[in-house]
Amino acid sequence: MNAIEHENLIRQYAAGEITWHSLRERGFDNYVEVLAGLGELGLRPPMAPMEGPNVEARVRARAVIREALRAQR
Amino acid sequence: MSGRYSLIVTDTSPLFTLVLADALDVLLRPGLPVSIPDAVYTEATRVRGAPGANRIVDWINEHADQVRIVPTEIGIDQQRRLEEGRSIRGLGEQAAIETLERFLRSDKEARALLLFEDTDIEKRRAVVDERVDLISTGDFLRELEAARLIQSSDHVLEQAASQGRNIERQRQVVSDVETRGRLQEQLRRDHPGFER
Repeated sequence: MNAIEHENLIRQYAAGEITWHSLRERGFDNYVEVLAGLGELGLRPPMAPMEGPNVEARVRARAVIREALRAQR
Repeated sequence: MSGRYSLIVTDTSPLFTLVLADALDVLLRPGLPVSIPDAVYTEATRVRGAPGANRIVDWINEHADQVRIVPTEIGIDQQRRLEEGRSIRGLGEQAAIETLERFLRSDKEARALLLFEDTDIEKRRAVVDERVDLISTGDFLRELEAARLIQSSDHVLEQAASQGRNIERQRQVVSDVETRGRLQEQLRRDHPGFER
């Protein structure tokens, strides 16, 4: 992978267009390499919007975390 | 909250993001047991001196009462592959599935939260089981932000990326110095009169 391909993949990842799983398949060895690439470009890791096939399970999980945090106070 | 929840880390990315942002402790804030499959742990820490690796090891040891490395068959296979110089790609996720299955089998009341990287959780259909819920690093940080336990999710993620950039730049400087050293050594060998 050359530098331009590397940068394009990082930009696509930051925009949420491709997944970390597919970055691995395209030659990224570890996530620190991704974080470094994002940092070089002034970008940050993407946060998933509340959509897609796992939304219900995510909503439930967030509620669990919320309740657990409340219980810790 | 019904059932006994445990947080299972399915991949190295949440660990690397949080360790570079100096925020690993956020994983402990909900007070849930944290399970890290052995293959995920090994993948995150196997390269001595790799960014964040030592801090992850220290953090796990400091919180051994709450954080557990879970041995798996996949982890054994991973060790064998490492010894044979074969790829270990994707084994962390497989070990997480094994960890989850063992966990659910061990206790009928047990419930699990699987911690994923954000793009993977958004696009890929994950485990479907009524006792399993899914959370991404971003979702987790959003809840901490809502509870005012961190300044902002964006801040943590920006810190991780900027620290990643600094580490990469340091690595390049070291690599340049090493390359120059090797070149000078070769010149000295090939041209005995060469001094610099």
